[in-house]
Amino acid sequence: MIRKPQIFQKQEWLAFLFHRHNNHLASFHTFSNYRSIWIISIVILAVTSLTPLVTATFINHRLIQQAVDAELVLQAERVTSNAKRSMRFFLEERLNALRFIVNELPYYALIDNAHLGDILGNLKLGFGGFTDLSTIDADGSQVAYAGPFNLEGKNYKTQPWFTRSLESDNFISAVFTGYRDVPHIIIAVRSINALGRVFILRATLDTQRLMDILLSYKTNVHTDIFLMDHTGVLQTPSKTHGKIFTPTHLEIPTFSTTTNVIMPESERDHAFIIGYSYIITEAVNTPFILMVYKKKSGVMGTWLNMGKTFNWIIYISCLVMMIIITLVSTFMVNKLYLADKTKAETMMKMEQSQQLACIGQLSAGIAHEINNPLALINETAGYLKDLYHFTEEQQNDEEVMENLDAILEAVARCGTITSQLLGFVRQFDVQISSVHVEKLITGILSFHQKETEYKGIHVTTDIAPETPAIETDRGKLQQILLNLINNAFQAIEANGCLDITVLHLPPGHIAIEIKDTGCGIPEENIKRIHEPFFSTKKEKMGTGLGLSITYGLVKKLQGDIQVESSQGVGTIFTVTLPVKMKKEDTA
Amino acid sequence: MKHIDILIIDDEIKFADMLSRRLSLRGITCQACYDGQSGLQWLTKNPGAAALILLDLKLPDIYGTQVLARVKKIDPGIPVFIITGHGTREDEKACIDLGAAEFIHKPVSIEKITALLNHARGEVQ
Repeated sequence: MIRKPQIFQKQEWLAFLFHRHNNHLASFHTFSNYRSIWIISIVILAVTSLTPLVTATFINHRLIQQAVDAELVLQAERVTSNAKRSMRFFLEERLNALRFIVNELPYYALIDNAHLGDILGNLKLGFGGFTDLSTIDADGSQVAYAGPFNLEGKNYKTQPWFTRSLESDNFISAVFTGYRDVPHIIIAVRSINALGRVFILRATLDTQRLMDILLSYKTNVHTDIFLMDHTGVLQTPSKTHGKIFTPTHLEIPTFSTTTNVIMPESERDHAFIIGYSYIITEAVNTPFILMVYKKKSGVMGTWLNMGKTFNWIIYISCLVMMIIITLVSTFMVNKLYLADKTKAETMMKMEQSQQLACIGQLSAGIAHEINNPLALINETAGYLKDLYHFTEEQQNDEEVMENLDAILEAVARCGTITSQLLGFVRQFDVQISSVHVEKLITGILSFHQKETEYKGIHVTTDIAPETPAIETDRGKLQQILLNLINNAFQAIEANGCLDITVLHLPPGHIAIEIKDTGCGIPEENIKRIHEPFFSTKKEKMGTGLGLSITYGLVKKLQGDIQVESSQGVGTIFTVTLPVKMKKEDTA
Repeated sequence: MKHIDILIIDDEIKFADMLSRRLSLRGITCQACYDGQSGLQWLTKNPGAAALILLDLKLPDIYGTQVLARVKKIDPGIPVFIITGHGTREDEKACIDLGAAEFIHKPVSIEKITALLNHARGEVQ
């Protein structure tokens, strides 16, 4: 098949990655390593565009996290502080009420069950939360009792709360069940009766009231509020830690008189923020620690979800940007490569044509200088021959005559070379006329008719039917075809093939392909075949000027010539010519 | 006035002599001049005496194209053949424009010259 000229070839995408290295062409390239330019370009673009985005995202994420944490801490602190104050107030109020009763009423009034019952009634009415009330003497004997349980006459001497309440003026117990088997808190005040004996007024408080107060601070399902004692045992039921009296195994927070908040170190969403406060009344330390657990994800769920969505948007943006950066870099580097390649090819062609021009000028100079002595040799040898010929003295000396003929023949060959050389350099005005390529080829082939028959060469011509008559220089085209066809005939051995194909390459070119089954051209010689004097033909067969002249003529006709050859298989010369040749101002 | 067949104007003395000797052997009369000036003088003295002129371009005194121009003034009808070892494309064009019959590169065979003369004689006759 006929190869399309380069102008019709599609320039491939990613050409710079898969180009074949040609040392000579590479020396004309501005850049050498396109792969590293490509990678550097992608890296620089990616770093400069993605770094601000990633940094901004990271900072934003940190800021949101900090804001969320600060807000959580504030919330936890507020809830803990408020709940603590309520708890403290609840216990203090009731303790003060007992203190008031002890100070206000005489001892005999406190050991009278009926009177004690009245007082309990008033306490329930005025403060609420009281279950029963009793007076206990220093031996632990319950002297008087008012309340729903039948506990009269009980002795509490062995009870730990009793011994501890004897030790200080005021006492608040942890939650316990005691004799009645119901969770309750004991508050007790110590006093001295008229006889100077110590006695204790004790009241039990309903834990339900306590729980109600705590529950009123539980604003949402993600918050857990409970009390525990100093050993970590639950004093109220907890949503996260279980029923009352369950040991929590929590780390007991360090003692502090103020409200504190512990931030978990874990960043996980299910982590809790813990607010705690030791409940201390003015009169006495209580065994209670108020604990507030707030689930991070629950409270700040909206914020955290938004953060996640934002992160996804950033990931996808980065991915899209990377794809765009890669595509843009590839496109640009490929463009750069193609431009550079075109430049390098042009420079290489210029170098070649300059070399050819130099060689041509040099050859013409040599031809000129040689012509004169050659003419002299020709005349001198001719004169010698004439002498023998006209004087008839040594006409029969065949050896002399043979040598003289050899000299004259050599001179004639030299003359052919110099005139061809001059023809190579000279470029006369081009005369454009309409030429039928088919007729031209037929005419040239007719010269070789005898050789074709003699060598048994199979000649085929295939002219595309739509091939137009072209406007070009008839003489030059004839010489081009003559040279190429002569070369082909010289290369073809007996019974070989010569195929001549003419194709129309719309819109404005035709291609003439001359394919022979001759000896072929070795790869190392293909680059040199257009150089003047380059010939591999045997002595007397060629001057080495034919193809260089052909090359110059094709260029003169604004065409292109390409050669493909494999040794032992054959050679294809493809001449591409414009259908309509443009006139040149300078010949 | 002496009638001859060929006037040779060439500064290569040996070439001109050898050529005229060879032509003489063939019965062709020649006159050799070794520069442009002497060639033109001979022609002025003997107008219409030569049947054709062989003219070299690279002469020591006057360049061949100028010699050709003057020859054509003296005798417009005489056929002038340029025989040169040099000769650029411009020279060839100039010579053809000035009326040279043909532009021939050296070396040239004796047969070609005799053929030229026969042709010129044929035209004259």
